[in-house]
Amino acid sequence: MQKQTIDILTSFTKAQNRCEIGNVAIARGAIEVGVDGVFSYPGTPSTEISEVFNYVNEFQNQIDYQQKYPEQTKHKIYFEYSINEKIALEKAIAYSIGNKSALCVMKNVGMNVASDALMSVTYQTIIAPLVIVLCDDPGCHSSSNEQDSRYWGNMASVPVFNPATPKDAYQMTKQAFQLSAELRLPVIVRTTTRVSHTKGMLDYHEIKVNERIAHFDRLPEHINIPARTASAHQKLLLKLHSNIVDPYFAEFNKVLFAGNNKKIAIISSGVSTTYLLEIIEENKLANQLELLDLGLIFPFPDKQVLSFLQKGFKKVLIVEELEPIIENAVRNLAQKNNLTCEILGKGFSGLSVTGEFNLSQITQVLDELFQINSISNSPLNGFEEFAENLPARPPTLCSGCPHRASYYALKLIVPKKDNDTILCGDIGCSGLGALPPLKMIDTINHMGMSISMAQGLSQALNNKGTKTVAMLGDGTFFHSGISSLLNAVYTKSNILVIIFDNRTIGMTGHQDHPGATHLEKYQEIELEPLIKGMGVKFVETLMPFDTTDTYKKIQEAMSHQGVSVIISKAPCVFLPDYLNYTKQDSKIIIDHSKCNTCHNHSDEALVCSKMANSNSSLTRAIAKIRAEKRVDSKDQACPANICNHGFFNSILEKDYKTALNMVRDKLLFSRACGDICHRPCELFSNHESDTTIPIKQLKKFVSNIDENFNDFSTVFNQIKNAEKKDKKIAIIGAGPAGLSAAYDLIRDGFNVTVFEKQAAAGGLIKYVIPDFRMDKKGFDVEVSQLAKMGVQFHFNTSLGKDIQLEEIASQFDGVILALGLGKSNELEVVKSVSESKKFDALNFLKSYNQKSLTIKQGSAILVVGGGNSAIDVARSAKRLDATNTIILSCIETEAKMPAFNEEITHAKEEGIKIIANSFVATCSENGQIKIAIHQFDTKNHIQDLLCDYIVIAIGQIGNADEYAEIGLENLNTNNKIKANPSTGYTNYKNVFVAGDVGDENHMSLIGAIASGKRAVIGLKQQLEGYEFAYEGLDALLNLNHKEKEGKTADAIDLDGNINAFINKFNLFQSCEKCNHCIDNLGCPAMIKVNGKIVIDYPKCTKCGLCIDVCPNDAIKWEKRNY
Amino acid sequence: MLKKTKILVAGVGGQGVVFLTNLLVKSALLAGIPVATSEIHGLSQRGGSVTAGITLGENTYGFLETAGVDILFGLEPLEAQRNIAYLHKNSIVIIDNNQILPYVVNAGNAPYPNIEKFVEYLKENIQFVIYNTESPKNMISVLRNLYVLGRACAETQFPIPAKFIEKAIVELAKKGFEEKSLEAFHLGLNIKSKTVNQNK
Repeated sequence: MQKQTIDILTSFTKAQNRCEIGNVAIARGAIEVGVDGVFSYPGTPSTEISEVFNYVNEFQNQIDYQQKYPEQTKHKIYFEYSINEKIALEKAIAYSIGNKSALCVMKNVGMNVASDALMSVTYQTIIAPLVIVLCDDPGCHSSSNEQDSRYWGNMASVPVFNPATPKDAYQMTKQAFQLSAELRLPVIVRTTTRVSHTKGMLDYHEIKVNERIAHFDRLPEHINIPARTASAHQKLLLKLHSNIVDPYFAEFNKVLFAGNNKKIAIISSGVSTTYLLEIIEENKLANQLELLDLGLIFPFPDKQVLSFLQKGFKKVLIVEELEPIIENAVRNLAQKNNLTCEILGKGFSGLSVTGEFNLSQITQVLDELFQINSISNSPLNGFEEFAENLPARPPTLCSGCPHRASYYALKLIVPKKDNDTILCGDIGCSGLGALPPLKMIDTINHMGMSISMAQGLSQALNNKGTKTVAMLGDGTFFHSGISSLLNAVYTKSNILVIIFDNRTIGMTGHQDHPGATHLEKYQEIELEPLIKGMGVKFVETLMPFDTTDTYKKIQEAMSHQGVSVIISKAPCVFLPDYLNYTKQDSKIIIDHSKCNTCHNHSDEALVCSKMANSNSSLTRAIAKIRAEKRVDSKDQACPANICNHGFFNSILEKDYKTALNMVRDKLLFSRACGDICHRPCELFSNHESDTTIPIKQLKKFVSNIDENFNDFSTVFNQIKNAEKKDKKIAIIGAGPAGLSAAYDLIRDGFNVTVFEKQAAAGGLIKYVIPDFRMDKKGFDVEVSQLAKMGVQFHFNTSLGKDIQLEEIASQFDGVILALGLGKSNELEVVKSVSESKKFDALNFLKSYNQKSLTIKQGSAILVVGGGNSAIDVARSAKRLDATNTIILSCIETEAKMPAFNEEITHAKEEGIKIIANSFVATCSENGQIKIAIHQFDTKNHIQDLLCDYIVIAIGQIGNADEYAEIGLENLNTNNKIKANPSTGYTNYKNVFVAGDVGDENHMSLIGAIASGKRAVIGLKQQLEGYEFAYEGLDALLNLNHKEKEGKTADAIDLDGNINAFINKFNLFQSCEKCNHCIDNLGCPAMIKVNGKIVIDYPKCTKCGLCIDVCPNDAIKWEKRNY
Repeated sequence: MLKKTKILVAGVGGQGVVFLTNLLVKSALLAGIPVATSEIHGLSQRGGSVTAGITLGENTYGFLETAGVDILFGLEPLEAQRNIAYLHKNSIVIIDNNQILPYVVNAGNAPYPNIEKFVEYLKENIQFVIYNTESPKNMISVLRNLYVLGRACAETQFPIPAKFIEKAIVELAKKGFEEKSLEAFHLGLNIKSKTVNQNK
């Protein structure tokens, strides 16, 4: 930068060739005529002009440069970035009145802010010349609108130059100063992006400074009062239309290609002229037209244009971007002077008022004007295919931008589902928060509107709902936020204002502003005292990269009544100070075992219950920052591998349908599980965690929302979309194990046939579990879906009788034996009891469910056994008649009873007497049954009982005849089939086991379901070479380890309390397909490679935000070995 | 006198499009070739698409027209493809396979185009293609651009002689980077390319 600064301050007696952008050319022009001071506010596309003078000012103020470069530092040029364009122009005017020449630079909309000054000063006077450079932006490359600043000439009655090239801009700037001096009026040099940011050839010449002596003359014109107005206006118009302007018209409005009897003429201005010149030369049209290029367009050069038109053209085309200002003036002129030529302008050949022109378009315009087909290249054949549907690449927040941190924290507080909180943003880098994935802005208007919009909307909506939030940058706040904030305080508005204080004006190239400056010549102004001084009661400064603190403070600010202000303060990535906010000596690394993988399995193809959408990950992210208790995923294992975290988090979002679908993704019997599952998921292997979450109760809750319960469409869609496999699987036994296997197989595209010996499907759950324990009708609905899914059922078909195992194994590609245990163990000692008084658990409960039991009222019933069946029998017997006396005897001590603890508790509560550690020593029948109960370990007598009935519930054994082919050596003592615990494989042909008939299988509902699912995986391994283990294997095997159990969750009052309760927990886990950082943060330094998040280190600024963001704790600082 | 040549430089904000443009302007000036450009400054650093037009020769003003670009520098492949409408059958295209994924691709919402397919299409339809897939010494973007410029000089009839580009590099490179920059350029200049594909 130093080289350019020296160059631009150097005078050249001999013209020096340069190729510079228009903005630099303008700066050079101003320097060559000895401008004294430059006042500006940054704004694309004008900023390069003021930046030149920013550097010049710094350069000239340095003592050593003053000594080293006397020529370049001789004439000191004052420069400031004022806090906004109004102040800049006002100060420039004042500077001029003090007899110092001034240049004021701004973008198009800047004049909207400054116009009050412009509109009044023309009725008064300036002293030294004042040139205003206005940079328009046709096509809105970086502006809120494409207003046509040439109108300011008409509006304010000041001359307007409109350059076409950088060279034009240079020359016009120089002459503008002279014209301004002669007229004592501000003069506008108006460029567009295609002049300001275009490089063109020009020459640098001598720098000629007329040293002005500053002074203030007390002229009457300096006092503007209504009495002067009329005459001042007249004076202004006289000035403007005086012949002082004539030489300038002559210099800058030129006729090209002048000739005789040309039929067609073009009048153009600005960059359009260059397009025309290039095309005219290319297509050799020079002899067919005359071109009038207008450089000084206001006051309108009536005389020149009239004499041009009077040359007698047939057609005159006006080519100008944006508004038809010249066109209308030409038409005006033609009408007043009775000219008959055809005038063409907007609307001809697609010449539009909107957007910018380009070479191709103007080529077509000339083609149409001259009725020719100009020779030009054609695009490549078939290029359209490659041009369409390309991913867009809009600008984004840089990696490490503190705005991203602020918006992210805000996202956790105000997820977009919440429609109450309106977010009013502003222009500048902070406006990029509107883009995905952040999308945290609802409105952006012109600069400074954020605070006004927030208070206005809040007023209109009568402060309904939560606070409206205004968000703006620090530069914008000083520019136009202060007055709006004052108004908010004054009118007692209820809004939150977040100031993104990144210590700079970012988007335009990091200029200083009052809140953040390192320059000696500026006084820095602190935001917090300023805002407090304005009367704001709640002001907090925070560091956005501290997510937890940011979250907390913004929440507090949101709950404060009245105006609250948050200053989110951390430097822009481009500032040197940024390095102090980051751990520059460390590196951020990602643990890929935690990113995008589930700890239960590594098969990406497994359809997992974990939701792959941003809302779910957002909920977990909120939980991470907010939760009081964290529970690791390893402690929440479901044998069916239901993602309890996804389940729980859907409930947090009140998305109960998704919660239910998550369950159904793994198993069909969600309502049944909600009723009778013994909930191993709530039991902890890690005894440090003392927290349990009522998963079962929540499952029951979501399964009993009938509207969702009855909608199985997600599952049916899955089946519809499954790739059909040409493999047939036979399942023998339609209990929960067999049906679960059928469910998984049919969804995976297999052909499934179920053989069942009863008349209907459901097994023990349907026939034996008593109806007071669960919703039997709901279970039937669940079961009935399978036939609709395409599972074929053969009822009343028994293995060993109607079908043989060997034959089924050869007819089908795979077989799953889910037979259950059909025979009950007998108690030798009660053999003699008559049949009408003796039952086994299965028969008793089946008859109970069928309501076919004939038990007389007030009976005494002894139940022998300590397992779940015994308890079920006892509780059913009690329900038959409340006056029944039920006694239960089991050989186990109470602690070791196999029945589930809560069932034992229920039984006791219902008045059932349990004599643990006991056995039936003797039994005789004489009317009633007389039984002697002895203690099991000591064999001592406990008591005698007189019973009417006895039910033996001491377990089942398999009916080995049914599966004789497997061989006795493969059976255990209860005729349970031995099998591989990982796969359920029996070693017999293609036969697998599931459910109670399997040796190692846990005899519970979830144990049955999970073993059925495991058998399917075993089958897939055998048939398809499937590579992975059953996803829930660890949890399934853990079922047998009762010593690992802890406490189950206490029941909670779900109606009403659900939010307060579940908000306490963060079910923290590693989750597949998380996508949170991509979906909600969008840092450009985090990219996805082969499904894993990877850090793009050259882009990483080490802000560390991602570490807080990752809900899976997969990101951390690298530990260095010292 | 050199006939009119139009060059388009396309890339991603922050890659060094502006620097490369300035370099070509400086080299042209040193070589006595009239030059003009059209650029967009401002939002460019924020990772958005950036293009710059450079025109060499008399009576040009920096502007490019459909099918009017003679040389396309694609510093990033997607950006190169985005500007395909500017090419004609005698165009020369230099693409550096320095892929920078836009957000929508990273988020899985849109696919990154198949660049190999695009390069094949170009090879069949235009005069010459350099598809640079090497990044010797793992250079950063700005230096890669110089490497690729070197290749362009070596393998095509580049309108600005290499010696002027060298001079311009020395003048414009950031303080302390002059040597590295020259090295990158020379590396590209001396390469014996295996991807030479002279069509028609």
